Amino acid sequence: MQAAQAGDAQAYVRLLKEITPRLRQIVRRQRFFVSAEDIEDLVQDILFSLHAVRASYDPRRPFMPWLMAITRNRLVDGARRYSRRAAHEVQVENMPVTFSDEGSNIDSDGYRDPEALRRAIEDLSPAQRAAIEMLKLREMSLKEAAAARGTSIGALKVSVHRAMATLRRALIKES
Amino acid sequence: MTMDTERLIERMAATVEPVRPLARPWIRTAAWLLVAIPYVALVVFVVSPRADLISKALEWRYVIEQLAALATAITAATAAFATVIPGYDRKFLFLPALPLAIWLGSLGDGCVEDWIHLGPDGLSLQPDWSCFPAIVVVGAVPAIAMAVMLRRDAPLTPHVTSALGGLAAAGLGNFGLRLFHSQDVSLMVLVWQVGAVCMLAVMAALAGRYLLNWRSIVTATGRSALLHRL
Repeated sequence: MQAAQAGDAQAYVRLLKEITPRLRQIVRRQRFFVSAEDIEDLVQDILFSLHAVRASYDPRRPFMPWLMAITRNRLVDGARRYSRRAAHEVQVENMPVTFSDEGSNIDSDGYRDPEALRRAIEDLSPAQRAAIEMLKLREMSLKEAAAARGTSIGALKVSVHRAMATLRRALIKES
Repeated sequence: MTMDTERLIERMAATVEPVRPLARPWIRTAAWLLVAIPYVALVVFVVSPRADLISKALEWRYVIEQLAALATAITAATAAFATVIPGYDRKFLFLPALPLAIWLGSLGDGCVEDWIHLGPDGLSLQPDWSCFPAIVVVGAVPAIAMAVMLRRDAPLTPHVTSALGGLAAAGLGNFGLRLFHSQDVSLMVLVWQVGAVCMLAVMAALAGRYLLNWRSIVTATGRSALLHRL
């Protein structure tokens, strides 16, 4: 870690590759009820956090207690996020119809065809597809997505608005 | 190792830049004081120090209370800087307890003495609404300096860190206030000044999660850029 603090990329890769299986094991043991994908997300969260606060490691002290403190903290944070998300989700067998009129339920049924949605997203222009992927699928914030694309928030909003309109038209036509 | 995590590690290593390890909490406190003390001195100078400051400096109670307020601010700042180091020793959390106890004890003792000498009149409480904004003004730059120093560190306990930072800034604000505000009645100081310090520390604690959180730190280090390149 000391070498990584000095900017040694090779030492940093070695360190991260060495600790990742251990982190995965710890996360899996403590969060045995979550999916493999969520476990990987938590491991990546810990790696991001370690990367962000690597300056706080004191080379005169042992590395593992420092790493474990970050791991515990991120796991508690993750659990808080998970419980907050779970509290806002309602598990139902069948979604009740909003109105008995058939016409009011056609659109929502049409959107539930993942294959059609995938095709419609593929047909979007590159800018619109990137906007949808980042904002709707990866759930990045406007600020994060704008930074990643190297564009303005305004341009991104226009792209996602147009993409949504195109998708709506394509899916209605298909259904 | 899944492909994504492996690629993420390589990406992180490729963009890793040298960083200087954080200085020890005591050293960071000294750096904070280097910014905070000149500002407090400037405010005291601008408002003009109380006329009886020299004679007050010879009163043991005033000196003890001022030293205790200053020590509370310094130890709270040190504790705040310790709480952002992963794996820190929790004993640091109790650092401000002793000077705070001396500060409150001296004021409490003053209240008892006032009551013995003056009877119930010695404990009469008058409104002194100027204390709160004055402490905010004197503690503003120390608070901003503290927030700037803490915002890129590990937010392990954001509420506790923020409360300690608030206590440090407000304690220093109260230390400065008593250099120009002629209010020495123990009960008045206890209620209006120490009360304001405690209220500011509580407000800082409540704002902790907004000021210090992993999301903003990780975003600032380019999480989105790293993810986008996966």
